[in-house]
Amino acid sequence: MSLLKVENISKSFKTLQVLYNVSLEVKPGERHVIIGPNGAGKTTLFNCITNLLPIDSGSIYLDGKEISKLSPHHLVHLGMSRTFQKNNLFGDLTVEENLHLALVAKKSYRYNIFSPLASRSDIKKETNRILDQWEISSRRHIKVKNLSYGEQRLLEVLLAMASNPKILLLDEPTSGMSPAETAQTSEMIQKLPRSIALVVIEHDMEVVFAIADRITVLHHGEVILSGSPEEVRNNEMVKEIYFGGGAKQHA
Amino acid sequence: MKKIFIYTVLLILLVLAMPLVLSDFGINLATEIYIMSIFAMSLGLIMGYAGMVSLGHAGFFGIGAYTVAVIGQYVSNSYLLLLISVVISGLTALITGVVFIRTSKFYFLMITLAFGQLLYVLFWQLKPWTGGADGMSVSAILNLGFGEILSPNAFYYVMGVAFIIAYILLRLFVESPAGKITKGIMENEARMSALGYNVRVYKLLAYTLSGALAGFAGSLYSYFNVFVSPDLSSWTFSGQVMVMVIIGGVGTLFGPAIGASVFICLQNFISTYTERWPMIMGAILVILVLIGKGGIIHWLRYFKDIIFLRKQTDEGAPQNQVKKEEVVN
Repeated sequence: MSLLKVENISKSFKTLQVLYNVSLEVKPGERHVIIGPNGAGKTTLFNCITNLLPIDSGSIYLDGKEISKLSPHHLVHLGMSRTFQKNNLFGDLTVEENLHLALVAKKSYRYNIFSPLASRSDIKKETNRILDQWEISSRRHIKVKNLSYGEQRLLEVLLAMASNPKILLLDEPTSGMSPAETAQTSEMIQKLPRSIALVVIEHDMEVVFAIADRITVLHHGEVILSGSPEEVRNNEMVKEIYFGGGAKQHA
Repeated sequence: MKKIFIYTVLLILLVLAMPLVLSDFGINLATEIYIMSIFAMSLGLIMGYAGMVSLGHAGFFGIGAYTVAVIGQYVSNSYLLLLISVVISGLTALITGVVFIRTSKFYFLMITLAFGQLLYVLFWQLKPWTGGADGMSVSAILNLGFGEILSPNAFYYVMGVAFIIAYILLRLFVESPAGKITKGIMENEARMSALGYNVRVYKLLAYTLSGALAGFAGSLYSYFNVFVSPDLSSWTFSGQVMVMVIIGGVGTLFGPAIGASVFICLQNFISTYTERWPMIMGAILVILVLIGKGGIIHWLRYFKDIIFLRKQTDEGAPQNQVKKEEVVN
């Protein structure tokens, strides 16, 4: 059974149709990459799936449960979390404090108003585990706004992972990165455990083919093709619209 | 945490020791400062930790004050009366908050302003119960089981203890998971929602706590002042307490209390010299806001840091400097 199933969703902003009958299926543990030129509606699709934007029609299922009407915070508790295209962190807090905030979300004491958060040992332990695993322990006391861009992107993913999701939506994890940082991030994504299904929006073709099990091509709000990396690589129409007419002109 | 504990102990000692040096007038002034500090801290909580700037907070203060004045005619137990005040103002905050927190920034400011004025008019119009524009005198006498509290000294200690309790409760809230989450929501609401938090619950929680605490301050004021009038809920009073929060330091817990102290001391000091004290007061506040951007508490911290750092270098401990560099990086 598919973990996430998007069925014929449409979304328009006033007269502008952004998504047109988009369908998508993600199996547990799958790496699903969404590609498409700028303005294809990729981020809008993410925003619709996580209900930051209400959809006009269609339905979305997570684990067989209709989720298109559920609020964003509810989805996290059902096992779906996301990152943002632009870094969306708590700049004035330290790395450690950012992780604390992310980790408390699933704790039963998140409504507690009397006992200090700092004295919770389970949060400390989990934070240390994450910091060690990603080798950023030395950066724990640094304010997030003072981190390098690449480190901020990493933290962005770590915050989304803190809720221990079944499915993680990554919105352009390598946007604005140097080639070296991009390679690092690509490696990091490949290192993520297979227990998490990934849906990734990505522009960098090297990264796309390095991580993808399946690729969906979005163009002007419509799914052009959804298939294996090989199918996508060899598809004439995809070459035409995505890789541009440039290849032809050179030939 | 250790630091906070030390500060709290120092604060308690300060409150207990003050009457030894103060005149009767000073004791009265300090008592008023404690009450206003509780009120200012309650507003400071939602302004500095939840990002909600309210211009109707005096509404809750008025509810607390009138509860003691009106219900105090029939109920004599002070504990019960204080509890009723806190519950009524808290419930009012909870119910109105459900609507108010859906708005943000200027709209929140406007809707809370309207709410405060609504209560002001209500106290004005309900003449049979509240005495209308003339106000009413408070017949209830504070009695916490140690006899009736009437002398300035007794009032001083009661309000001092109330202030310390309010401070500790707020400190606990700010350090608690819910408090940290509320602060996170102020910084980045969309992200907190994406992390799995129901942001409205936390905003409502902070608003309710704040309203209940403002009501508590109002009920204490009622006992202290033995007279209440609709002005306690007027928007000018809301504005005044907002000024206290801003000059003291938004985003800190103790800042609003310092702001309240400075405001009340200045007000009393200047008004002994001239009737035109609001003019001078206004000028001073403009200067305070212009040059002291983070509020007075940040000046105090600045001076403390200077002294603290000097001590560090004297001892030849470079540890602190390394830490500082790291932070800059």
